[in-house]
Amino acid sequence: MTAMAGTSATPRGRTATAPPPPAGPRPRRIAALPTAALVLGALYCVVPTLWILVAATKSRTKLFSTDTYVPSLDLGLVHNIRDLSDYQHGIFWHWMLNSFFYATVGGVLASLVSAATGYALAKYAFRGRTALFNTILAGVLLPQIVLAVPQYLLLSKAGLTDSLLGVLLPQLFNPYGIYLCKIYAESAVPDSLLEAGRIDGAGEGRLFVSVGLRLMGPGLVTVFLLQFIAIWNNFLLPFVMLTSDDKFPLTVGLYSLLRHGAAEASLYSLVITGTLLSVLPVIALFLSLQRFWRIDLVTGALK
Amino acid sequence: MARPTPTARRTSAFPYLLVLPAVLLFAAFVVAPGGYALLLSFQRRKVNGGLLGGGTHTVFAGLANYRDVLGDSELWSGVVRMLLLGAITVPATVLLALLFAVLLDIEGTRLRRVTRLTIFLPYAVPGVIASLMWGFLYLPATSPIGGDRVDFFGQVAVYFSVGNVAVWGAVGFNMIVIYTALRALPAELYESARLDGASEWQIIRRIKVPMVMPAVVMCTLFTVLAALQVFNEPNTLKPLSNAVSSTWVPLMKIYDDAFGNSDIYSAAATSVVLTAAALLVSFGTARLIQSRVQQEAA
Amino acid sequence: MSVIPRRRRAAGAAALAAGLLLAVAACGGGGSGTTAKGGDTKAGTGTGGKVTLTFWDWDPNIDKVVAKWNAGHPGIQVKLSNPAGGDQLVAKMITAHEAKNGPDIAKVEYQSLPALVSKGVVADITDYTKDTVTKYDQATLKSTVFQGKVYGIPQDVAPLMLFYRADLFAKYGLTVPKTWDDFAATAKALRAKAPSAYLTNFDAADPGWFTGLAQQAGANWWSTSGDSWKVDIADAPTKKVAGYWQQLVDGGSIAKNPSFSPQWNKQMNDGTLLTWISGAWAPAQLGGIAPATKGKWKVAQLPAWTAGDPTTGIWGGSATTVTSDSPHPEEAAEFASWLNTDDAAVTEQVKQINVYPAATAGRSLPVLQAAPAFFPNQPDFYAEVKKVAPSARSFPMWGPDVTVTFTGYTDGFAKALQSGGSFTAALDSMQSATLADMKKLGFTVG
Repeated sequence: MTAMAGTSATPRGRTATAPPPPAGPRPRRIAALPTAALVLGALYCVVPTLWILVAATKSRTKLFSTDTYVPSLDLGLVHNIRDLSDYQHGIFWHWMLNSFFYATVGGVLASLVSAATGYALAKYAFRGRTALFNTILAGVLLPQIVLAVPQYLLLSKAGLTDSLLGVLLPQLFNPYGIYLCKIYAESAVPDSLLEAGRIDGAGEGRLFVSVGLRLMGPGLVTVFLLQFIAIWNNFLLPFVMLTSDDKFPLTVGLYSLLRHGAAEASLYSLVITGTLLSVLPVIALFLSLQRFWRIDLVTGALK
Repeated sequence: MARPTPTARRTSAFPYLLVLPAVLLFAAFVVAPGGYALLLSFQRRKVNGGLLGGGTHTVFAGLANYRDVLGDSELWSGVVRMLLLGAITVPATVLLALLFAVLLDIEGTRLRRVTRLTIFLPYAVPGVIASLMWGFLYLPATSPIGGDRVDFFGQVAVYFSVGNVAVWGAVGFNMIVIYTALRALPAELYESARLDGASEWQIIRRIKVPMVMPAVVMCTLFTVLAALQVFNEPNTLKPLSNAVSSTWVPLMKIYDDAFGNSDIYSAAATSVVLTAAALLVSFGTARLIQSRVQQEAA
Repeated sequence: MSVIPRRRRAAGAAALAAGLLLAVAACGGGGSGTTAKGGDTKAGTGTGGKVTLTFWDWDPNIDKVVAKWNAGHPGIQVKLSNPAGGDQLVAKMITAHEAKNGPDIAKVEYQSLPALVSKGVVADITDYTKDTVTKYDQATLKSTVFQGKVYGIPQDVAPLMLFYRADLFAKYGLTVPKTWDDFAATAKALRAKAPSAYLTNFDAADPGWFTGLAQQAGANWWSTSGDSWKVDIADAPTKKVAGYWQQLVDGGSIAKNPSFSPQWNKQMNDGTLLTWISGAWAPAQLGGIAPATKGKWKVAQLPAWTAGDPTTGIWGGSATTVTSDSPHPEEAAEFASWLNTDDAAVTEQVKQINVYPAATAGRSLPVLQAAPAFFPNQPDFYAEVKKVAPSARSFPMWGPDVTVTFTGYTDGFAKALQSGGSFTAALDSMQSATLADMKKLGFTVG
């Protein structure tokens, strides 16, 4: 785990955040081979999505009876989306909304928890600090599946199973987020600024909010988006925790369409259309947030 | 530790207040369920009697569950399959990530923004959905990538097919981690090498790769952890073919015990054994890599 | 400088989050108010005597049948949820029971019922169903009445039958096989005539399919005497069935990929597969599996081991059960009885879900005069089903740990197909795994 900290020590010299190629004074030749290799890599990454896009244009009757490469041009996609929206009174859109809800609210709260913890670990010397940090990091090692059933049984004692809280609460603790926030706080919040604030008579709470949180801001966006993805992608916890299908997130909902039951036809055209529709908003989110979603911050490099 | 200044004394409660939410969450959702699982692993369900059992009660089972778990050959075959799978996914993910990161960092490479984002995007696709999409690509009837000629679910091929889904989802994230480390290296490092007549390849091999080793190590750790917890991919691909059994990897066995056979007690015992093993392996790997890196640095 | 716009963006994000929160809360609001969860409903009964029951069922279109009940019973409202299907629902029921928050009513397949009874998940509703049980014949009741106690109301019966592509049989000049020997010969003949087609596939993914075939041959995997069980999964009839199919598979006469996968759907659509050995519920499923083949299928009796023997097995079939967590077992049992014995309800089920009714009177309903929508070419569809239904046999009783047996089937047979192993060996390992688990749970095994 200490090996992780190694990367955070490296940002020096060239800025860690500049994505555009360095504009040298002399014209550079195009590196054809590396570009080609990267394009190949990118193709590898979009192939499944492209297939889904093609398959989603096919009506139920055509899905398994026409050539896999060729999209249908007869409004199949429109019909599929209509079928999916009609399925159980539009429950799919409920799932979509639920996923956004779990991921957004969970992401915000988890980032705040991580920020507070990381800030405390970085900026205060207190008894048990090292032990706490190590214990938190060890939390990464426990597979979720190990905890799922005991979590369910314990939460049921609190009456929280099959509720929004039952899905949200267990996902608010994020060891990796805490680790990142500690690094951010160490590098972005100078001790001198805090000391100056203390001399001016500012309370510790105010310092945390107005100095700590503000300076850690860009890093927190990254922690939020990482946590957003983690919750968006989570399948097992909501699968175990929820029994009302109107509370499902997309992952569990689409899985329930797929494994409809023993000796039951799976609703493949609905699953495929649903898969496409569930991938698109995340892509859109990434593209639109790209400006302040600084993926380079995942290493803890905050400059 | 404690600073003897008045300010420090005044603030001494505040850090505890800050870490309180995390500690409470950790206690409630990691420690308590973990402890509960440990408790369950020493218990067992028994029927009350009569033909249909007439309900059940739990009894203390001592180490019986552990004896069963350790003596279960299916679990050990699952561990072997997991290791084989990891032997594919870990090097493939890390090396591909390193390759793409290095390529991105070469001056003159075009289309950087779009390729970087595209390679990263699978990270945002849930494992269940990724497995589903690849499943369609593998099956002969729906495959646009030659599934009618290649058996993607053959005895050996299935490891690569399952591994591919995991690699697909993880390469982008790790690529960014390494790329960031590369961007943080001072450009002067290469300038002098270039003046000495070093080729781009030599710069990569002699300077860039060794300098980003800490990031590569971190990626390796992430990937090893993911490999130990592999579940979504084989579990989603299972109904598509005869190749993946319900106990194919250890976590599927736990899932099958807990949810298929409703035997949370065996599942708990298996979990305890595996978690202990995972802790040992992870700490061992971390230690090993750390000392290796320190040696090289020295 | 950039702090302000960033803050504004953050505020925007927070507003978005709050909006979502409200939206979801609003959507969930209607649901949570009507959800029956232990304490909720008890409070509910106190105020105005209205009872709300939760009902877990995975049948497509069952919501339309439930709506009929809700319209006629303002005092007992049923709220439907579809948390998972089939065997996964069983697992969910057990976990939920463990936490004491199961549904009131649940659809359970016959083979899972003894397991749920043994774990105390399903309630004894004998006292509420005295009239209801008179509407069933004894053979049907055997699946839900154990040692004189009623644990569920049978919904449908599903005799195993042979569904075949009438158009392709004609095209290749094949006749519908009457015996298993015919079937094997037809499979071979088809391979010679059309090398890309198969008569059927061996399905290692669905144990219910194989148990039906074993039942037809006379297998008794579980039987009971007094309070003790006898487990005999690798009995002679089962070995005969396994040996028969192993020969077909080894000889390359049939396909060996699992059913219900996209691969299989494609094969069913494009005519690669000519038959499907399936339960009487197949018409509803075929519509989803192979929509391009409407009107091309026909149903026939399952091939027999000795010519003229009408005996068949079953695949699936379910009961509506009341859970032991339900605070309103009487009302729940009333709904379960209505769902499966009321003429209007059963008619709706036949129309919406294509069930073949379990209730005696249900089998003579006028709605069964018409063929299922997917079989417009076979108006006597239900007459065919009615002919074989009385000779459909199940095991004397399903085992209390059938999931272990079924996992053993899926893993064992899949492995045999994948790496050329023996089906009989798979049966032996199913037998030992089942026995070991029953002993571990504390059942008396003789």
